[in-house]
Amino acid sequence: MSRVRHDGVALAVDWPACRARGLCAELLPEQISLDEWGYPVVHGPVPPALRDHAVGAVRACPHRALRVVAPPPT
Amino acid sequence: MTATIPGPAARAPVAGSADWVPTPVTDLFVHEGPLLLRHLGEPVDLAHHQARRGPLPTPDLAALVTLVTDAAVRGRGGAGFPLARKLTTAARGRRRPVVVVNAAEGEPDSCKDSALLRTAPHLVLDGAAVVARALGAGEVHVVTGADRTDTTRAARAAVAERDDRSVRWSHRVAPPRFVSGQARAVVELLEGRDGLPVTAWQPEAVSGLRGRPTLLSNTETFAHVAVLVRGGADAYASFGTVDEPGTTLLTVSRRLPAAGLPTDAGVGTDGGVVADGGPEARVVEVAHGTPFVDVLHPAELAGPVLLGGYHGTWVEGDVLADLPVSAGELRRRGLALGAGVVLPLGPDACPVRATAAVTTFLAGESAGRCGPCVNGLPALADAVRRLAEGEDTRPRLRELCGLLPSRGACAHPDGTTRLVRTLLEHLGRRVHAHLDGSCPRVSGVGGAR
Repeated sequence: MSRVRHDGVALAVDWPACRARGLCAELLPEQISLDEWGYPVVHGPVPPALRDHAVGAVRACPHRALRVVAPPPT
Repeated sequence: MTATIPGPAARAPVAGSADWVPTPVTDLFVHEGPLLLRHLGEPVDLAHHQARRGPLPTPDLAALVTLVTDAAVRGRGGAGFPLARKLTTAARGRRRPVVVVNAAEGEPDSCKDSALLRTAPHLVLDGAAVVARALGAGEVHVVTGADRTDTTRAARAAVAERDDRSVRWSHRVAPPRFVSGQARAVVELLEGRDGLPVTAWQPEAVSGLRGRPTLLSNTETFAHVAVLVRGGADAYASFGTVDEPGTTLLTVSRRLPAAGLPTDAGVGTDGGVVADGGPEARVVEVAHGTPFVDVLHPAELAGPVLLGGYHGTWVEGDVLADLPVSAGELRRRGLALGAGVVLPLGPDACPVRATAAVTTFLAGESAGRCGPCVNGLPALADAVRRLAEGEDTRPRLRELCGLLPSRGACAHPDGTTRLVRTLLEHLGRRVHAHLDGSCPRVSGVGGAR
């Protein structure tokens, strides 16, 4: 049986670069929340429907601290 | 072997005035072992080493991969990654690989890499030379910690003696930090930067030093390679178990803050088992599968043990006694052997106080780069200190232990939360006793104020 495949993506944070500006959580609240210090908490891989929003959040980061990466193997 | 080092015995300072900070181990005893720690006390120079151990075979990549696959060699720095996979990944790259021997040993209580470099430095470098030849690597870098002056001197002397054809050797000194031994931090140091962890977008074996495939592994890993190529997989497998052949090095240290075990500097041992008042730390080579009851003294198993060092896992001594020295078996039970640091607390000491002191130290060892670590570890340390003072901060601790892991350039937050999480999960009864006032209190020693 072949499984249905789609080009899923995940988000990864470059933690030393992140300065807790929080734009990512504003642009992609479905996937990113902020911890008590303002740093992002990424919730799971990005569903295909939110892919464009994820790319938008990556582009909006003023410190280039967010990246789209291949999802971790499951 | 008398690796007892002169100098004042380091004791945990009495808390109350300042935070506890671990001092370098000054009273170390290295035991003779079956494969790696042999010929202790004999001269360690290259000529004597070669006379003792014989010529060094240099298998090609396929033969080396077969050998380390058969012997199931895994990295000995804590992550336990299979060496065969690292080798094949590094060989697959288009550029010429480099080899890095990681002896930074940033964990203050770990002494096994130091012990190896001081008693058998050329065994380690033999292994690195074998790996370099098999990969076609032209350079080998050896990195030691700045706070380990004798080890650094031993490594520098041994590197200067090497006459391997087609391999250039270099030796670098890492800053004395807990996170200095992290793989990316070592690569950063070798590239001329500060030696602090940065985000790794690819494994070092794919793209490491200057973008080259980098076979970076712990000191001990290379020593096992050297033993294997000389003796073969069958001789190696005469020790250990079917799943985990061979041996592993452990550092047993009695230096946990608030520990209730005697450490009498300079007191000898009776061969296998250290007497009650043993040295503050010892390095032993044990066959995989050996039960901990054969490794630790009864007094060391009479209380909780922090297994795997400061980033490790708490476990009751009577539970640990029957468990084997086996990374796989321990992992299945939610325990971690890490880089082989075993820290017994003793029967009459308080693990909450010890955890408070260690967590406070670890929070201060953050490289200060990643937000969740910079903010989260002090918050975690504060909550453990308040727990030690009698306040029930367990909900807050569980919250932080869920929030901090996997959110940094290195695993420092992951390791620190592992310590705290296993205090709550594995020593829950003792934490409860601490909160209701029935906890044994040892004369105010420890990190809690």
